[in-house]
Amino acid sequence: MTISSAEPRSAFSVDVVERTGNRMVLSMGPQHPSTHGVLQIITEIEGEIVTKASPEIGYLHTGIEKSAENLFWSQASTVIERMDYLSPLSNALCYYLAVERLLGIGDTIPPRAQQVRVLLCELSRIASHCVWLGTGGIDLGALTGFFYCFDLRERILDLFEASGGARMHPNYIRVGGLGRDLPDGFLAQLDRVIAMYEPRMRDLRRLLQKNPILQDRMIDVGILSADDAVAWSLTGPTLRATGIPYDVRRAFPYSGYESYEFDVPTRTEGDAYARFLVRLDEMDEAMRIIRQVRKQLDTPGAWQIPDTKFAPPPKETIALSMEALIHHFKLVSESFRVPPGDVYQAVEGPRGELGYYVVSNGDNRPWRVRTRPPSMYNLQVLKKIAVGELIADMVVMIGSLDPVFGEVDR
Amino acid sequence: MPSSQTPPAGGTALDPTAVRPDIDDARILRVAPAELRATLERLKGEGFAMLLDVGAADYPGREPARFDVVYHLLRLDARATTIAGVGTPERVRVLCAVGEPDPVVPTVTDLWPSADWAEREIYDLYGVRFDGHPDLRRIQMPDDWEGYPLRKDYPLRGPARERTPRPSFALKSNVAAGTPASGKTAAALQRQIAQARGQNAVNVKTEDKNP
Repeated sequence: MTISSAEPRSAFSVDVVERTGNRMVLSMGPQHPSTHGVLQIITEIEGEIVTKASPEIGYLHTGIEKSAENLFWSQASTVIERMDYLSPLSNALCYYLAVERLLGIGDTIPPRAQQVRVLLCELSRIASHCVWLGTGGIDLGALTGFFYCFDLRERILDLFEASGGARMHPNYIRVGGLGRDLPDGFLAQLDRVIAMYEPRMRDLRRLLQKNPILQDRMIDVGILSADDAVAWSLTGPTLRATGIPYDVRRAFPYSGYESYEFDVPTRTEGDAYARFLVRLDEMDEAMRIIRQVRKQLDTPGAWQIPDTKFAPPPKETIALSMEALIHHFKLVSESFRVPPGDVYQAVEGPRGELGYYVVSNGDNRPWRVRTRPPSMYNLQVLKKIAVGELIADMVVMIGSLDPVFGEVDR
Repeated sequence: MPSSQTPPAGGTALDPTAVRPDIDDARILRVAPAELRATLERLKGEGFAMLLDVGAADYPGREPARFDVVYHLLRLDARATTIAGVGTPERVRVLCAVGEPDPVVPTVTDLWPSADWAEREIYDLYGVRFDGHPDLRRIQMPDDWEGYPLRKDYPLRGPARERTPRPSFALKSNVAAGTPASGKTAAALQRQIAQARGQNAVNVKTEDKNP
């Protein structure tokens, strides 16, 4: 589909489409299966070589940041979880870490709550990378891997459903801890997922990692140098595939990550295959953390702070205690107030540094919730890496950057 | 007994960044638009090589400048290959206040190419212009959109829909969501609906008597 020369879509695309020689302007998306959402790329090509690529975003803009400003502190997380819909718990964790720091209760979160938060975030990392691996494989014609990936992801989503009640947006992480304790049978279910992970990943690696067709498509495609990665604000696996081992979990530990043993996988090639390998290794490291957390979860403990001014009192006390009833009523009807101030908090999401700049003016609603969306910055570099590549490799590069459009457009 | 439910002393803050509690999340610098470029260039030279994010916030009523453009920088060495080599992790936050009627700050797209989309987003949602930006146009909203949605005086449901009431079953929660915590009385809500429907005050009174 070419753009008509009469109506140039925007100032950034070319004004007049020239058809001289082999030059052509191609609009890819926004309805395109391999764009992993709604991404449009105005692509200039000479023959099959891309000479300019201008990604156009905003097709999924839903005003989540504006909505969050108009909800209670405790309600905002429901829309915030919908930004990066492949790893909603990372979003919720980051937002609540920021709120807890503003409230001054960041150091009082019970250990069990922190362990479960880490567990669920690492599980989301695996689930999110499963989607990337499955759909990224489909882009390149490797259909089989998709079913293995989504099977594993589905088992992890079952765990989310068991803990919070919903597969994708459990809203399980709350201010001061968790929504409730882990249910009976959760740990047995978790053990089954841990047991199936190892053989499943072995299968996937044999199926995809050594696959000569995938290697041919990915090696030396979309190469990024370390300097470029820093200049374009890349984080997460995309940055680590250029050799820089920056990981928020190590650089600015939160929720007790400093107490777990894990490596930060890096590669130096900086191409699509390096990003592929880094993500695969990251899944193994995530499982390594999960196994360490699992050992700690057998001992029961408090899962939210005792201060019922922020965390709702236990359900069974509401019928018996006047104070508990009052606190519950206050929390539900007008939420809590947060002292004025601003804070920047970041976590290592599956796509990179996921940051929240939260401002409170002292009211019971956030004044400003600004997300630092790793997907948006990672996707932006497509402008640079696509130039000089084949048009057919565009889907490889999009897949290797792993954007989620709920987060890019918010 | 003071509790978390009572508003903090002084009620809501007009400029929360000025009264922030002592949280150790980043070094904070506040600069005027004229010094912004020099400050960021100096910080980049000091090793803050990565521009993590450019955001903005709106504090209507703050004088003389209602907007804050917020730069988050990270100290990072592109030659680092080990976790130790990344160096002491450190963030710095640069706040640049800019006021109406023509909010404009210099662009940093030449220092960090990644600032492109972030600056366009601020222009799109706040109406803050970035002087020298190569391609300053809307990014999230449609190209022909009017107004800047993230400004505090922009209604939640947009100016067009704000004039028409929602169906009654949804009204209370939706209107309440856009109002301050003090809330509006039911009568005031009824009046608002009646005005929107073009009815006069007499009808409103009878409606009140017959709930």
